[in-house]
Amino acid sequence: MKFTPELTFDGGLVRPLTADDVDNLFEIYQHPEIPGQRVIENREHLQRMIDLSVQMAATQRGMMWLLEVNGESQGLVSIYDWQPSLLRATLRVDGLPTLKDAYRAAAMNACMKFMADKYHLRNFAYQWVDGQQDSLKAVIESVGFKPAAVLRDAWRTGDTSFANVVQYHCVLDRAKPVPRKLGDDDELGQNISANGVTGRGSIGGDA
Amino acid sequence: MSWNFETANFSVRLPVVDQDGPQLFELLKNQNAAAHIPRLAQTVDAQALDELRRMTMRFDSREAAFWLVEGRFDKKIFARIGIQHINWMMLNAQLVWELDDELTDEGVLEFVPQLLEYVFAALKLHRIEMRLRPQQERHERLLTWLGFAKEGCLPAQLEFEGESVDLEVWSLLNPTPLQDLE
Repeated sequence: MKFTPELTFDGGLVRPLTADDVDNLFEIYQHPEIPGQRVIENREHLQRMIDLSVQMAATQRGMMWLLEVNGESQGLVSIYDWQPSLLRATLRVDGLPTLKDAYRAAAMNACMKFMADKYHLRNFAYQWVDGQQDSLKAVIESVGFKPAAVLRDAWRTGDTSFANVVQYHCVLDRAKPVPRKLGDDDELGQNISANGVTGRGSIGGDA
Repeated sequence: MSWNFETANFSVRLPVVDQDGPQLFELLKNQNAAAHIPRLAQTVDAQALDELRRMTMRFDSREAAFWLVEGRFDKKIFARIGIQHINWMMLNAQLVWELDDELTDEGVLEFVPQLLEYVFAALKLHRIEMRLRPQQERHERLLTWLGFAKEGCLPAQLEFEGESVDLEVWSLLNPTPLQDLE
């Protein structure tokens, strides 16, 4: 059973992580975007992360995609803090310095659309940590996120230092799924092989 | 200060599983006590026993700590207050309380500051937040008096009785910088 799909967008795609992506991830984590995040030195951690990405997707706890532009690895899109019954999750993109804002936004849009279509998620959060590039705010907002709260000192950047977190939300205007009896649905939520859901289109469109 | 302490009128203590069931049920069967969270009131006393066991397990796993606030003289349980979702890496946690209708604002202000002082000084947490439904006049008043600041409102956080519920976030930061804590 396949849990994480490959999704395409204009100019690039996001795809599931494979065991061969250790070097790609290692390069991404040499350029940490978030204040206080350390450069990764141990490649074994990344192998473990790839294993976990499969387990997380299978158990609906999270999903991770490698972001490629013109066939070149340029970032990582992560869904985490996934609350299936509350229909919400948090999104994050870790990008190389070369990743252009337009591709970052397109990748976010594709992943959110997939999660909305397949898992009926309707509330996405994104946390911008004080100290990240200010231009990221415009990217986040271009996808449909709006700032909801500034969480003071909610992110620890060092032994005794903290940073504020701006929490954004994108709540989709979609009908909630109607509960059905077990067995009525022959397309199990986790099995993306069962239908042709893709990340194409806008997250604001019809499910 | 230990986990348990006393004020002029209250004994604030960790719960005792085989003792506090009936009193806790009296508190939690009142919908008013949990309307700001929001959560449904308990309907059978076995739920209070389950809740006591959960509190114990969460305490043992260092994930949460709950206290019962007992009248020193009449031994009535006036409130349950706790910190949960403790993130030991980020040094933050969520405050949650259920207050009896008879507990006055002055009563709340008699024990909560001391409890927060313990959380900041002994547990060395840096940030305590409370999430609650908007327009909870009493709770907002209390939080303001306690020094909490409103940080915003997170949309569509949960469903309750068929409605999508937004949650306001209020927070209080440890007044003592981390490097100055013993």
